[in-house]
Amino acid sequence: MKARRLLGYRRRSRLGVNVVMIIISLLLVLPLWYVLNNAFKVEKEILRQPLVLLPSTVTLENVVRAFTAMNYPLRFMNSVVILALSCAFLVSLGTLAAFGIAMANSKFMNRVYGVLVAMITLPFQLAMVPLIFMLKGLGLMNTYWGTALVYSGWFLPFVIFIYTGFIRTIPRELEEAGRVDGCGLFRSLLSIYIPLLKSVTGTVLILRGVPIWNDLLVSIITLSRSTLSTLPLKLYSFIGTYGSAGTKWTLVFGSTVIVSAPILLVFLFLQRYFVKGAVAGAVKG
Amino acid sequence: MERRGLTQAQRRQFACFLFTLPALVVVFVFFLFPMLRSLVYSFTNWDGIGRDVQWVGLKNFVTVVTDSSFRQVVINTLYLIVIYVPVLNVVALLLAVAVYNAGRAGSIYKSMLFFPNLLSMTVIALIWKIIYNQGGILNQFLKAVGLKILTRDWLGLPQTVLPAMSFTIIWFAVGYYLLIYLAGLNTVPVDLYESAEVEGVTRAQKLFRITIPLIAPSITINIVLSTIGIITLFDLPMVLTRGGPGYLSQTLALHVYFYAFVQLQTTYALALAVLLGIFAMIITSIQLRLLRRREEASR
Repeated sequence: MKARRLLGYRRRSRLGVNVVMIIISLLLVLPLWYVLNNAFKVEKEILRQPLVLLPSTVTLENVVRAFTAMNYPLRFMNSVVILALSCAFLVSLGTLAAFGIAMANSKFMNRVYGVLVAMITLPFQLAMVPLIFMLKGLGLMNTYWGTALVYSGWFLPFVIFIYTGFIRTIPRELEEAGRVDGCGLFRSLLSIYIPLLKSVTGTVLILRGVPIWNDLLVSIITLSRSTLSTLPLKLYSFIGTYGSAGTKWTLVFGSTVIVSAPILLVFLFLQRYFVKGAVAGAVKG
Repeated sequence: MERRGLTQAQRRQFACFLFTLPALVVVFVFFLFPMLRSLVYSFTNWDGIGRDVQWVGLKNFVTVVTDSSFRQVVINTLYLIVIYVPVLNVVALLLAVAVYNAGRAGSIYKSMLFFPNLLSMTVIALIWKIIYNQGGILNQFLKAVGLKILTRDWLGLPQTVLPAMSFTIIWFAVGYYLLIYLAGLNTVPVDLYESAEVEGVTRAQKLFRITIPLIAPSITINIVLSTIGIITLFDLPMVLTRGGPGYLSQTLALHVYFYAFVQLQTTYALALAVLLGIFAMIITSIQLRLLRRREEASR
């Protein structure tokens, strides 16, 4: 609460700050509102008066047409499967590795950890080309598994970094006490550590799940078969066929909204965790 | 007894290594190994398919660097770094201070400003494509308020395409960097401001003498993160302009993709990817060194 009272600025200046911030926030979300409200306008109205910020007649036609035109259920399922597989890899392998690194606490493992941390900032473009040829060789091109493994290889260093940082803040006595009671490493991971890792797992899922869900780069190079394309990838190919000509505005508005809908719903319910999780990663870094 | 204890410790170490192994295998196979291959193969004529691989020395690099598009692509990338990183960080810091000072409503502004960050960059780019379009909302707005003279094809002209793109990326990213600055601000002890107030310190002095030195770590994180972010950014420029018109908004990150998957010139893609990696490492390590030194100096 003390922080909220803030810097002892006078009340009048706080009012000024609020007025400015209301204007800035509204301006910032204006483009999103523009798209949202146009998605529910009739085509004629979009063309005639696109600047009006409320539709005079609300129609679901654009959304429904976009839904069928992009085969939404299929794209949605592709996105969900790839996200679920990737997150399963990231969380399970990430937890195991971080636990191993933190428990070993040896020179060798710390060096391995150092290499992993150094890899966090390496650009994906550096691995991209040989990676694709390798996926082809392994028969992993155009598969859910292949795409999920690419995300995993790319993001695991970061996930291990987050988990290791957290596990190292847990007092070692906990594990040592377990060892005295005859608890093996695996047992203490399962019964002592994993229950403590819930919140940091939430952070990991937000920090890497959202980028995976929204990603275009990996999906565009690993999923060339159109039946496998994810929501963003399908939206991208949509633009090619409709958007730039500017003729099918209705479909563009409609598809943009339905592609964004799932994450918006999740955000509405888990807003607090999103905002908290987004910072946690960077501050630890 | 002692020997047995030692082997037990070793066994424990080995068990720890086994825990780490699956992740290491995935990272190695799907990230590190391809990277090393890029490094090695950028000096060969390897095209991904042929078996007969021969050393060609620096030939690929020379070809890439002397290509007529290279200069433009490097200029664009530097332009984005020089414009985007400072503007983004100044705006994010000022907004963070404002959100901090806004009192209870702060969390609402925070969520609103963070909001674009959740959407796919494909969606974001598409929205701004509609806005910047020749017949798009920006031009219609300008016409409506009597500034017809300013209307133009924002993404189609050499003078406006990169500023327009920078603006969109800043609009997208500012909420995230704001959150990090806000977290930094929340660690500053409030008493400091109170005692400064008693001594009649001006608002600007508070910002430059108290706030900025104390949140130096957040500034370091944000500058490095935003630089890496802009150097490797792919999705947004890809959808917004595809590097066009011509090469006028093509960045290094995009150029690697085009070499590899559009023009199918694997050897050049590898050489350019290596240059991109070196470029990213040099810039971020210089930044880190400078910023860390400043952080220490301001303590």
